[in-house]
Amino acid sequence: MKRKTPKGIWALRGVTIVIALAVLLVIGSIAYSAYEEVVTVRSELAGGSAQAPVTVTQQGSGEVLSVNLTIPNKGLYNLNVTVTCDYPSSNVVCQKASVSIAPGQEGSLKFKIAIVDLAAFSSSTNHRINGTVRAEMQPFVALSVSTDFGGFVSTGGA
Amino acid sequence: MRKRVTSAVWALVVNVVFWIIIPYYLGAFLASRVPQTPLAIPTFVYEFGVLFIILEVTAAFFQGKAIAVPFISGAAALTAVYLWLATNGGVLTVTSSGLTVGLGFTLLLYILILPSIWAAIRAPISYIVWRKAVLSEAQQTPAPTPA
Repeated sequence: MKRKTPKGIWALRGVTIVIALAVLLVIGSIAYSAYEEVVTVRSELAGGSAQAPVTVTQQGSGEVLSVNLTIPNKGLYNLNVTVTCDYPSSNVVCQKASVSIAPGQEGSLKFKIAIVDLAAFSSSTNHRINGTVRAEMQPFVALSVSTDFGGFVSTGGA
Repeated sequence: MRKRVTSAVWALVVNVVFWIIIPYYLGAFLASRVPQTPLAIPTFVYEFGVLFIILEVTAAFFQGKAIAVPFISGAAALTAVYLWLATNGGVLTVTSSGLTVGLGFTLLLYILILPSIWAAIRAPISYIVWRKAVLSEAQQTPAPTPA
């Protein structure tokens, strides 16, 4: 005779199914949101908007690198984007930029690096401007990319 | 007995593929593509692989008996620990040619290890519930009359 499955076992199986579904739902929604964001940011950086996202302009003896991005949040989670940079001298001024974008909304990110004296920057031994771009898909995932922003600005022909 | 041995051999084959062969080739692939990847640590993967195989094979061999419960729970708990250690607690950093890419997903990792923790808790509860049901069934069944 086949033994009847106790109610307690059914309850445990129910909890297992609920946990599995919840995990799948979270992973699926994060994967969908990440995919949408990557596709959107790639098209923005490729010049999808009417205005070029990155411009370098001469200002007196210096140079200003401006990044002007419009980031639509097509995902399902709140998106936080922060750009910071660091240079151990007053010759380079970094303006921290941060934007928080709700799902379905658009946010504008304006970031500037100003080199006050381009000749002094070019003649210095350190051309490295440590910059970090941090994108957070709140509250689950945060991606940060750190690189040398000095490569994006000209070194006065040096 | 034959069923138990078959079940244990099957668990051995599946776990060797899952915990030794796949990580080995995945680690070799990642190491060749991304230098300094935090996942390409062969010894760490094998140590856990051997532990998993021992726990899973023993659990399969003693399936249905009380002795299998700690092995089932142990394997599930070890899965959670493995995930936590393999992903460095949800903080991965890769540096290559002046570029550093960091990925933080601690909260997501908690969610990912939740099924393993639940499986570790569920195994002893399931056994207790089954045992209770069997005992109460035995009490309700009238004893056979001697011939």
